Amino acid sequence: MTAVARAWGRLTLPGKVVFTLVPILAVLTASLIALIVLFGGAALDILNANLGVVRFVAAATVILVITIPIAFLNIYLEMKIIALMNLRVGPDRVGPWGTALSVVHGLKVLMKEDFTPSGADSVVFTWAPVVTYAAAVLTLVVLPFAPGLYAQDFNIGLLFFFAMGGLGVVGLLMGGWASFNKYSLLGGLRSAAQIISYEIPLTLSVVGLLILAGTMSLNTIVVQQDGWFANWYVFRQPLAFVIFFIAATAEANRTPFDLTEADSEIVAGFATEYSGMRFGFFFFAEYVNVFILSALTVVLFLGGWNAPFEIDPLLDWIGGILPGLGITTPVTIALDPGGLGLPLLFLLLLVPPLGTLLFAAPFFLLRSSMRWWVALIIGFLLFNVVAGGLVMAWAYVSFEAVAGLLWFLGKTFFFVFVFVWMRGTLPRVRIDQLMGFAWKWLLPASLLNLFVTALAVVVVGS
Amino acid sequence: MSFIPGIGIARGMALTLRRFFEPKATIRYPEQKADVPPKFRGRLQLLYDEYGTLKCETCFQCAQACPIECIDMGGLDTKGRFHVHWGASETYGERREESALRRSGRPVPDPAYTHFEGLDVGALDRILEDHDYDPARMLQILEATQAAYGHLPVAALKRISQVTGAWYATIYGTASYYAHLRFEPPADAGQAAAIAARRPTEAAYLAGLGASLGGRSAGDAPRGDA
Amino acid sequence: MTTTDHRRASADDPRVMLDEQVGVFEPIPPYPPRTEREAEFYSVGDGELLINIGPHHPATHGVMRVVMKLNGETIVDLDPVLGYLHRGVEKLCENADFHQTIAYMDPLEYVSSLFCEWPAVMAYEKLLDVEVPRRAEYIRVLTGELNRVSSHLLAMGFHALDLGGLTPILYSFIERDEIVEMLAAITGQRMLFNYFRIGGVNGDLNHEFMSRLGDWMSRATEQVEANVGLLSENEIFVRRNRDIGVMDPETAIKMCWTGPNLRASGVPFDIRRAHPYSVYPELDFDIPTRKEGDSLARYLLRIDEVKQSLRIIDQCLHQMPDGPVLAKLPRLLRPRPGRAFAAVEGPRGEYAIYAVSDGTDQPFRFRIHDPSFLHLQSFGRLVPGKLIADWMTVNASLDPIMGGIDK
Repeated sequence: MTAVARAWGRLTLPGKVVFTLVPILAVLTASLIALIVLFGGAALDILNANLGVVRFVAAATVILVITIPIAFLNIYLEMKIIALMNLRVGPDRVGPWGTALSVVHGLKVLMKEDFTPSGADSVVFTWAPVVTYAAAVLTLVVLPFAPGLYAQDFNIGLLFFFAMGGLGVVGLLMGGWASFNKYSLLGGLRSAAQIISYEIPLTLSVVGLLILAGTMSLNTIVVQQDGWFANWYVFRQPLAFVIFFIAATAEANRTPFDLTEADSEIVAGFATEYSGMRFGFFFFAEYVNVFILSALTVVLFLGGWNAPFEIDPLLDWIGGILPGLGITTPVTIALDPGGLGLPLLFLLLLVPPLGTLLFAAPFFLLRSSMRWWVALIIGFLLFNVVAGGLVMAWAYVSFEAVAGLLWFLGKTFFFVFVFVWMRGTLPRVRIDQLMGFAWKWLLPASLLNLFVTALAVVVVGS
Repeated sequence: MSFIPGIGIARGMALTLRRFFEPKATIRYPEQKADVPPKFRGRLQLLYDEYGTLKCETCFQCAQACPIECIDMGGLDTKGRFHVHWGASETYGERREESALRRSGRPVPDPAYTHFEGLDVGALDRILEDHDYDPARMLQILEATQAAYGHLPVAALKRISQVTGAWYATIYGTASYYAHLRFEPPADAGQAAAIAARRPTEAAYLAGLGASLGGRSAGDAPRGDA
Repeated sequence: MTTTDHRRASADDPRVMLDEQVGVFEPIPPYPPRTEREAEFYSVGDGELLINIGPHHPATHGVMRVVMKLNGETIVDLDPVLGYLHRGVEKLCENADFHQTIAYMDPLEYVSSLFCEWPAVMAYEKLLDVEVPRRAEYIRVLTGELNRVSSHLLAMGFHALDLGGLTPILYSFIERDEIVEMLAAITGQRMLFNYFRIGGVNGDLNHEFMSRLGDWMSRATEQVEANVGLLSENEIFVRRNRDIGVMDPETAIKMCWTGPNLRASGVPFDIRRAHPYSVYPELDFDIPTRKEGDSLARYLLRIDEVKQSLRIIDQCLHQMPDGPVLAKLPRLLRPRPGRAFAAVEGPRGEYAIYAVSDGTDQPFRFRIHDPSFLHLQSFGRLVPGKLIADWMTVNASLDPIMGGIDK
């Protein structure tokens, strides 16, 4: 006994941890393997039987998880773009070009004290950020990212989107009320008034589009817009697009409509009393909302995942030109890869070193002052870039989902840039101007748009 | 105001987009430092004449005139008997030492007593904080300072004196005792050779000294021994 | 401690349900109201709400507190509470040498320090009957106008910041930094210059100042115009400023307004022309005025003043005579018993010093007149009936500096 105790005492702390963990892990692994062997088939059968549920749970998990990188990316973009517009440098210390700064901000927020002011309604105070964040995440469920890459395709998808988007204001109002602070109360009430007012033009502007589309399923709306960019709804509903974008800015509480958190008036509005990760959830929800509303604008008006041009006619056109240039037969490979068997693996293994050497050779041969290993490193990096580009191009051509996702994210982040650009330029409007703009201008304009669209459909249809 | 609604907003947006691509005005601080203006008054410093003699007469007129009493100083009376001071007791020791040297009639012989350049004390403050502002750990502080700056700048020594409460003379004594601490940036090889060429006797002296010390290189010995 | 009384637990613990609200600070003072006005202000009616803006608030331009009585978003009444930055500068100056008081003038007006030093040295020169060298007067005008440009640029940037625009403040700061750097080249400091001396200035112009100034003057006009083009025609900005805080000329004169705020109401009163001092009679410049008297007029008038200041700087550089920059004076000044008043036109209005000498080396009485204080007292006329956001607009357009108000 004493011998064991002495041996145990000699171990370092990591040693103790390893000695404790290894047997436990071994037992757990063994039991897991046994479980899979015994019940794996049955479990697979059950999962196969409920494929829809499994798919939805997986999609919901993925959506919940991807909101975090989306928010981090948006926060970084906002910091960097506004800085560059202000003739500043912006974040440039943490990570390359400061890209890790928003992650560090997230960690900081996690580590700060989670403070509840005395006098606050603690239950409502605690749940308010959860409601806001959940509403933001729920709207992502119906967004189609790419062909086949969506969580759920409702036939009332747009309605679901607006319903869930409107739920976010409940969280803001809860936070503003429960904070027990007059600034917060004003901010919460402002947000309620603002978002309810702007829901109406936001929804009405889309009704004209719905008349044209004949469906509320976002997936179907995107499919209707394929082909050349002239098919996009922005060219058939330009007024609706403008109204929708303005109302979306107000809906996301962004400048020039960021009255709910006007820092120079009601210090941070509903978030005045929040700290730590609860504030972080409000903050995250705002940036996720920016992404979501940009994405919805793209889906409704700018063709979603569709490329602005069709690649097939282009390829056909090139195919028609090639014989004129003297190229008649496509290059065929004499080697049959299937017939090689195991040597194929060795061939594949040979590709990276050979590629590296190939790309390193010009540097090594042309610049005698360069060390051989520097040339090798440059060659390796170049090979990786080229190979990665080739793989991406292959994926783009071969998989519809990859191409669609790239186009979708590109368009969406353009609109994120526009949101940030507006924040970098414009001052804030006043509350009466805000409400007047919604009720006196946007609402009549969206009604006019609805009228004209309906009239056009009736006239053309008859 | 133009009649087209939104033209002002559009012009503002165009301006910010143009500025997005323009060169930036930021001074990236640790790598790039703003110039100190020629008449900068942010640092108090005693003046020396061309012989290196301290010009201060320790007359206390400046300390009395200072409206917010930020000047403090100390000195000996004319017979060298009593020391008198103005200001907080923990800060006058430094200048009393300098003044005492001046009053003894000798020029101040230290290479450190020259006009000194401005110093970025950020790294030094971090070192001092790591060592808990403890004057008993002076050697470690000085070594870390030399590692940070390459040598021991006068401004750094004064800062250490001010913050730890140790007398400047004590710190100077510590720093000059150890041969591996230096007051000037290390000279490069060519410069060292040029100095050696100008003073050939010194090398011979040092070699002889090394032989007399029994194989130990003179350069390793504490400067006090040599 | 075996008590189970839940009130003994920490009030910050969210699990504790509190019977009574703790940490509720009533805005109504505990003492009985001292005046009828105070009683009226603190009697909160139905649906009304008292709210503190400040002392620490992003839009108060310093440490000012304003108690507002709100009805919804509308301001019913308001009460500025001053004194959070009070240092007793006047009393300090009465216990200091004449030379030392100049150093106390700087922090009064920390974005345009020279305009607080200027009336002080002018008052002492009147007491001592000193002739200031002409080159020193030109240098004073040159540096003063540079300081006016920097102050106006900052005011316009903060005006935009208070309305929620993030960018103009940084464009303003780029230009202001250039000016501050060139002033630092001759004065030695970036902010609290302490440059004027009794009978002249401390040090002549030097090469670094002149090269920086020439470099900046070559692009100042277009740079300033490009920067203000970001907002001065922006529809949102114009609509938020137009017809907000309108002041008619008669009331403005009665409320002792001076400077750009008065001229924006249509009164062409400028001390540089009305009561000329220094070398301003020899210089050619206009006094811009505007009729509207609202926040937008005050904003646009500052842009016009920047252009006039650039004209003055240009003329100063061309007419600068040679000669000494400091009159010969004894180290210890003992003016004859008497009193002197000196006023200059600063970026916010009339800065004036009233100094009384009793024959010793310290002023017997030293009175500082600051324009921001007089502008601040008209909040009660400009703001009630408007929204909270309009208070920020009015405050930014009046451009108060709390260092001078609280003294």
